[in-house]
Amino acid sequence: MALLRSPLFWIATATVVVAALLPLWFSAYLLGVLTAAYYFGVFAMAWDLLFGFAGEVNFGPTFLIGVGAYTAAILNSTYGLPIPVCVVAAAFAAVVGGILLAVPALRLRGPYFGLVTLVAVLLLQNFVVIFAGVTGGEIGMTVPDVLSVDVNTNYWYALSFLVLCAVLLFGLSRSAVGLILQASGQDAVEAAALGFNVTKHKIAAFCVSALFSGTAGAMLIFYMGTASVDTVVDVAIAVQIIIAAVLGGRRTILGAVLGAVFLIVANEFLRPLGQLNAFVVAAIALGVILFFPDGLLGYALHRSERE
Amino acid sequence: MRAVQILVDGFAISSLYALAAVGFTLIFGVSGVLNLAHGGIMVVAALVGWLAAGELGLGTYAGTLVGVVAGLITAYATYLIVVRPIQRSRAIRPEETEIFVLTGTLLWGIMIQVGMAYLFTDNPVTIRPLIAGVVNIFGVRTPANEIMIAALSWAAIGLLWLLVNRTRTGKALLGASMNARAVTLLGYELSQLYLVAWTIYGVLAGIAGVLLASFLGVSTTNAGQLTASAFSIVVLGGLGSVSGSLIAAYIVGYLETATAYLIAPTLRPIPSLILLVLVVYVRPQGLLGRR
Amino acid sequence: MQRRLSEARLWLFGCAALAIGLSPLAAAAQNAEPIRIGVIGEESSVAGASLTKAAAMAAEEINAHGGVNGRQIEVITYDDHSSAADAVRAFQRAVSQDKVVAVIASYISEVVLAIEPWSARLHMPFITPGAASNLISKAVHDDYDHFKYTFHGWLTSAFIAQAICDYAKEQLVGPFHLKTAVVMSEDAAWTKPLDEHYLECLPQAGLKVLDHIRFNPDTADFTPIFHQIEDQHPDVIITGISHVGVQPTVQWHDQQVPIPMVGQSSQATTSTFWKDTNGAAEGVITDTAAAADVALTPSTIPFTQTYVKKYGVTPAYDGYTSYDMVNVIAEAIERAGGSTDPDKLVTALEATDHVGTIGREQFYGRDNQFTHALKYGPGLVTTVAIQWQNGKQMCVWPPDKANAKISFPSFIKLHASAE
Repeated sequence: MALLRSPLFWIATATVVVAALLPLWFSAYLLGVLTAAYYFGVFAMAWDLLFGFAGEVNFGPTFLIGVGAYTAAILNSTYGLPIPVCVVAAAFAAVVGGILLAVPALRLRGPYFGLVTLVAVLLLQNFVVIFAGVTGGEIGMTVPDVLSVDVNTNYWYALSFLVLCAVLLFGLSRSAVGLILQASGQDAVEAAALGFNVTKHKIAAFCVSALFSGTAGAMLIFYMGTASVDTVVDVAIAVQIIIAAVLGGRRTILGAVLGAVFLIVANEFLRPLGQLNAFVVAAIALGVILFFPDGLLGYALHRSERE
Repeated sequence: MRAVQILVDGFAISSLYALAAVGFTLIFGVSGVLNLAHGGIMVVAALVGWLAAGELGLGTYAGTLVGVVAGLITAYATYLIVVRPIQRSRAIRPEETEIFVLTGTLLWGIMIQVGMAYLFTDNPVTIRPLIAGVVNIFGVRTPANEIMIAALSWAAIGLLWLLVNRTRTGKALLGASMNARAVTLLGYELSQLYLVAWTIYGVLAGIAGVLLASFLGVSTTNAGQLTASAFSIVVLGGLGSVSGSLIAAYIVGYLETATAYLIAPTLRPIPSLILLVLVVYVRPQGLLGRR
Repeated sequence: MQRRLSEARLWLFGCAALAIGLSPLAAAAQNAEPIRIGVIGEESSVAGASLTKAAAMAAEEINAHGGVNGRQIEVITYDDHSSAADAVRAFQRAVSQDKVVAVIASYISEVVLAIEPWSARLHMPFITPGAASNLISKAVHDDYDHFKYTFHGWLTSAFIAQAICDYAKEQLVGPFHLKTAVVMSEDAAWTKPLDEHYLECLPQAGLKVLDHIRFNPDTADFTPIFHQIEDQHPDVIITGISHVGVQPTVQWHDQQVPIPMVGQSSQATTSTFWKDTNGAAEGVITDTAAAADVALTPSTIPFTQTYVKKYGVTPAYDGYTSYDMVNVIAEAIERAGGSTDPDKLVTALEATDHVGTIGREQFYGRDNQFTHALKYGPGLVTTVAIQWQNGKQMCVWPPDKANAKISFPSFIKLHASAE
């Protein structure tokens, strides 16, 4: 089978196996950092699908994530619904949000599209802050249920979720649908000329991205036990997601995971800097944009191509 | 009585919004850059102005000028360190430049905010009023400073209008916003024009920042909000349209003020947000937008 | 040359002997594990930064006096960037990576409420030196076995409101013939119980509450709010603000709102407030833990002076409590016979009877609805009310500690003159 001969497949599998065994060596704290990074990886992959393949720069991945996360948080906190129900509801809400966003946004070209997605995030942010009674406002709300108190269990939940999403998203990107998306993204006119309904496919891409973003958002909430604007809605998070995907290499899906892990680990590693760790991470990210716009995996892949 | 209160209060805040928004839309119109570090530049101007006026003992007027200069310097830094390198980078595909610029300015904005918070803490600061005391306008007790601020905002906007419509450089800027290539054919250096645009932008943002500090007070936590506010107004008015931004600023300013007075202070930002949603769905290019 | 060499050899021999002689002591000191206390603050906020600095100072002083049972205290600080999620991650890091025995964290109620369930899950004793929400201690009361590790090292909102009502009654209602009030507070977790208690105790103090305004903590323009308040002609504005402070104060001053502002304004408790408002703070009265130059206890002024000498600013209200809580933890460890086992530590903490910098500190027990909160009352912790006058914080209440009379700026129009 072609898949078994692909080196990428073996490297990926080896990485997953090593990752699964990390709880044997790593401390609880480091595992916690990686757990958060894995969920972030799903955010980044979902974004890469939309941008890399549908060609749409989405400044509001956190709109979709936030809708999912807060739906789950409010359902669990106010109505006491069990976690699985909340997660499913979150996914559903995020997809609805994705459609609501996609419809006006896709009528626009260039910066206007990005603007609309950014406006969506601002709206959600204001909504959360204003209705602080229900949502906990700027500083956040706690949810009574968590996935697990055990660090290892949380870690494996996150890892399996990441692997599942990666397989699905990567598979999608290489499938016929994915190729059509890629065509629509690179050159919409030609794709339409070839008979493909570009808009329908882009809306579908939005929905898929929304599904994964919203679900991951809900899972993240139940891991952390808190939901707040600055972890799931803030534009700063959206930027970090974009950076993660760009850092890892756009249009590679898997690169996004690398970028996400790198970013989150760097953030925590620099925590002893105190106030300035956000500054340093932003500076590093800016440096990457300026000097390595193709990202880590992108750079590696291009080099191997040239050789 | 209430109506007069709303009229007076709304006018000052709308003028300030207008000043902040005009700079933002100008830089987009001329060079196609959506500067998401906009709020950061205003915050730098405000904080440095406060520092100069108070700590360094320069007094209110000199301190304010120092603040504006600081805003200008930050604008230059934004252009020269972030925007221009990305625009000139050969590693980035031309159709992706805008996205990278957006992301770059956003990151730069974060760096400014965190850096300023480190130096100044996130406590809000205020610049002493340029004119102290209150005046009575149709029975509404208004700080004289508020009137001064509205006047200064309009003076700045008026100067900008003069510059754009009556000077050669200004007209070239206007031309560049419509057709950059044609302007180069007329013999203008685009890079020089961009520098002029960023200079004007820096001064406008700097003035907006110090005036805001004098009127309401500014803290590093406002940076994101200020960008978002200027941004929403510009989207409403139409990207690249200065008159659109002016009108939109007043609409938003008065909507907010009226809401705060007539409905509830907590719901202040909501009507303008709803308006924004409507505009995005119904007329995405804004009220007076061109493209 | 020869003489110099032999001198050098003598020195060398002497030093070596000294080193060998001292090394068992050195080894012994290294063998005694330090006691680690995690301190989570908000470094870019004036109050949050004070928290960590004061804790570090407390640890230094304790170590200078020999530590706790011969062990040194090591304070590890974290910045949570005013974010609940960041604070939770810092807490988790403190517990599992840095192996602390107790955590002192935050002055923001929302952050503390997010950490509380984790202190329960991870069995980590945790004290907040500055948050105020009633829910913090009510959770301990309602589910003691689960939440017993949380301690509230500051007064609950209910008691803060009570303190304000007490001084309004004693210092304002009578002397200034005030009859009506409007409550103005930010919409946050700590002000919900604060306002509830205001509405109860203000009438008892003789003030009729005409209106109750809650505004978005993000508000920048307070003009409509002040106009709305003024339209109702109250005699006093009772405040509950912490997230905001500079802006409403400056605008109150610039607009010359003729109504005094009294209550809890956390930002007004810091010494930088005067500069940040360019003097607009003149006449503002706020409740706070302690005031400069007021000897609430024998250790108040020495602590303030040492802090100012070291850091250049006076401590914020939670600096006092943070300092005290490090000492409280140290005493509890000694009481527990040197053990840092969480359950033993909790029992020891409950027996706290510590004369700190703000008063005599004891925690309520299971019989009180605010289990593990600081006890309020004469002889314990009462807080003080200060008024900004000419750039300084002057104490105006309690009467036995007051060092100034209340005086308002000229634009304030009181309905009757002072006695």
